[in-house]
Amino acid sequence: MVRKNKGYIALFLLPTVALFIIVYAVSLVILFGTSFTEWSAGRSPVFNGLANYIQLFTDDSDFRKSALNTVIWVALQSTVHVAIGTLFAIILSMKQFYWKFARTVYMFPNIISGAAVGMLFLCMLNPDFGAVNSIVRMFGNADYSQNWFMDYSTAFLSVTMTWLPYAAVVTILILAEIAAIPESLYESARIDGASSFKINLYIILPMLRNIIGTCVILSGTSMLQKMDIILMTTGGGPGNETMNLPIYIYKTALMDNNFGYSNSVGVFLIGFGLIFVLLCRNLFRIGSSQN
Amino acid sequence: MKKPLYKTGLTLASALLLAVSISACGPDNSPKSSEEAANSGSGNATPAAKAPVKISYLTFRVGTHASAKMEEEQIKQFNEKYGDEVEVVVEEIPSDAAYVDKIKILAASGDVPDVVMGKDGINDVLIKGNLATPFNDYLDKDPEWKAAIGDDAIASNTRDGKVWSISDQKQNIGYFYNKEMFEKAGIKPAETWDEFMSNNEKLKAAGFVPLALMTGENAWTSNLLLAAMIGTNGENGKAFMNTLHPTDFNTPEMIQALNMMKDLLAKYTTKDALGAGYANAANAFSQGKAAMIANGPWMIGDFSDPAKSSEGFDKKVGVAAYPNNSLISTYEVGYMIGAQTPETRDAAEKFIKFKTGLEGQTIALEYGNVMPVSSEVQPSDALKEKYPIMVESITVAQKTQLHYRTLDSIVYPNVTDAWKNLYPKLAAGRATAEEIAKELTEIAAKNK
Repeated sequence: MVRKNKGYIALFLLPTVALFIIVYAVSLVILFGTSFTEWSAGRSPVFNGLANYIQLFTDDSDFRKSALNTVIWVALQSTVHVAIGTLFAIILSMKQFYWKFARTVYMFPNIISGAAVGMLFLCMLNPDFGAVNSIVRMFGNADYSQNWFMDYSTAFLSVTMTWLPYAAVVTILILAEIAAIPESLYESARIDGASSFKINLYIILPMLRNIIGTCVILSGTSMLQKMDIILMTTGGGPGNETMNLPIYIYKTALMDNNFGYSNSVGVFLIGFGLIFVLLCRNLFRIGSSQN
Repeated sequence: MKKPLYKTGLTLASALLLAVSISACGPDNSPKSSEEAANSGSGNATPAAKAPVKISYLTFRVGTHASAKMEEEQIKQFNEKYGDEVEVVVEEIPSDAAYVDKIKILAASGDVPDVVMGKDGINDVLIKGNLATPFNDYLDKDPEWKAAIGDDAIASNTRDGKVWSISDQKQNIGYFYNKEMFEKAGIKPAETWDEFMSNNEKLKAAGFVPLALMTGENAWTSNLLLAAMIGTNGENGKAFMNTLHPTDFNTPEMIQALNMMKDLLAKYTTKDALGAGYANAANAFSQGKAAMIANGPWMIGDFSDPAKSSEGFDKKVGVAAYPNNSLISTYEVGYMIGAQTPETRDAAEKFIKFKTGLEGQTIALEYGNVMPVSSEVQPSDALKEKYPIMVESITVAQKTQLHYRTLDSIVYPNVTDAWKNLYPKLAAGRATAEEIAKELTEIAAKNK
């Protein structure tokens, strides 16, 4: 019987495993292999050892800036973004009269495509006709004009604000986890005289450790693939002020026509992502029991 | 424990369903019926009509693209004429940039469409990768077609004696100006760059924004002016603007032009020029918010399009050459053969011949305001009546004496992509013109 079941398990796993091998595993092997080559479109890869990696770490200021920006955005997204989402979830869990409306409205930015969100912000922050500048002008400063996306002092913050506050996915996940906490725990705490604040701080939050860890991984890794909004709004500029690794990979592959070098950046990005996920798993002890 | 019968039945049914669905997705390898086999194998059977050769063609001239109508009409007329011989399988791509990206990715895997537009460095990729077929033999066999394209257009796409692409249009690009604004400011189109800068100052003093510039995307309208500044700056400037793939941008002409551009961006353009796309700049001019825009004749249709301009705006628009009686004049890279079999190569050549021959050029002129490469193709009376500025445009082009190319057509694609990041850097004072020129040189060196 057991042997029969094993056969079925293998049979039904086969399509998934085959798809994984064809779509991901083969691509990863090619990515890793060609990162040690000089390779451009239409030509065969030529092995060049560690040359791409040496150049990457010793002689490429755009890569350093892109890597730094990526690290900063991963850090912000896995802390501030998750904190906003968690706080919002705790507020909504109190189920005041507005909670369903607020939950729905908060989802809006997450159901619009990245390119559309980029276009929306591009219009809102336009220095000429954008809503933000118009509002400032309404309040007295008639000549006010700030080019939010192209001014060095505001570009990074402006791009960051197109995704950082919209943590609806985190909120939904945490709300679901809060709903699973037994009511008896709240009752015991209240009988012991705990205030709502203390209940949230000492009971709810510790019990959310697993899901918060998951949200940190999801939010942080989403920054390793963030490209559409940046391309729509700043294109990585002004200069390389808002360049990140995905944009840099795109530019080196399709603009410089340097696929080998681009793949070495890709390997770095995947490595960074793996380390980040492992760190989070250990930090939050994801998968272990709450106690 | 005995397994219930219905479970076994369900498992078998699921397996059967899975097998059927998988086989339905696969290629049809089933043996032909005896009748089909007989028909296909028998020499005595009535020969079936030869199926048209299928060729793949990707196009970004779709939707709201300025040349969408032209593309649609060319394909429609080709199908009417040659549909029984060649079937063009068209795939629509949403933008120029997406098209270039897609072809480069396809080229990396050695699998490009049968007909390819060689713009923005695609021609280099295909030539270096041995993925294109030269047109020499085809042109030699058809002197009429060769004459319709003309020696200059052929020469512009020839490398080492091989004609790698066929140009479908000549770009004569000056700038459009708002006659009302010019009149109020008391100016006429400038004949020198000093006069050009003085015009800007006068327009500004009269309360107008002089220029519709943009630094986003490929910085098109700004770079046309930059090209004119370089191309008119002596023999060296002219030589630079007529050199394919310049590698040294650290020249006095480039630095001088960048310094002028810095001034224009700081004082004489719209507030959103830094980071703006083509649509922003075009709107600024068509909506009467800016007095001048550098652009080609394909924009003429916009001036009488109620969705883009106010009523009667086309009457307010004039066209001028750049200072020093000069004009950007360049042949498009045009179409390449990416097909890999003799049959599809011939079919691709037939399609390209139609698009770039006299018929195709006429369609392009009438439906897309695209300047033909042949002098035999002239605008119809209806077109002249509809767009008088088109005639003015041709007259201006004929009077000019100094010609140079667009930056996009001479520099490597990664240099074209870099402007959007470099112009804001220049305008913000984070880098001098000399430093930007050095950076451009470094970027060009990165191209593979």
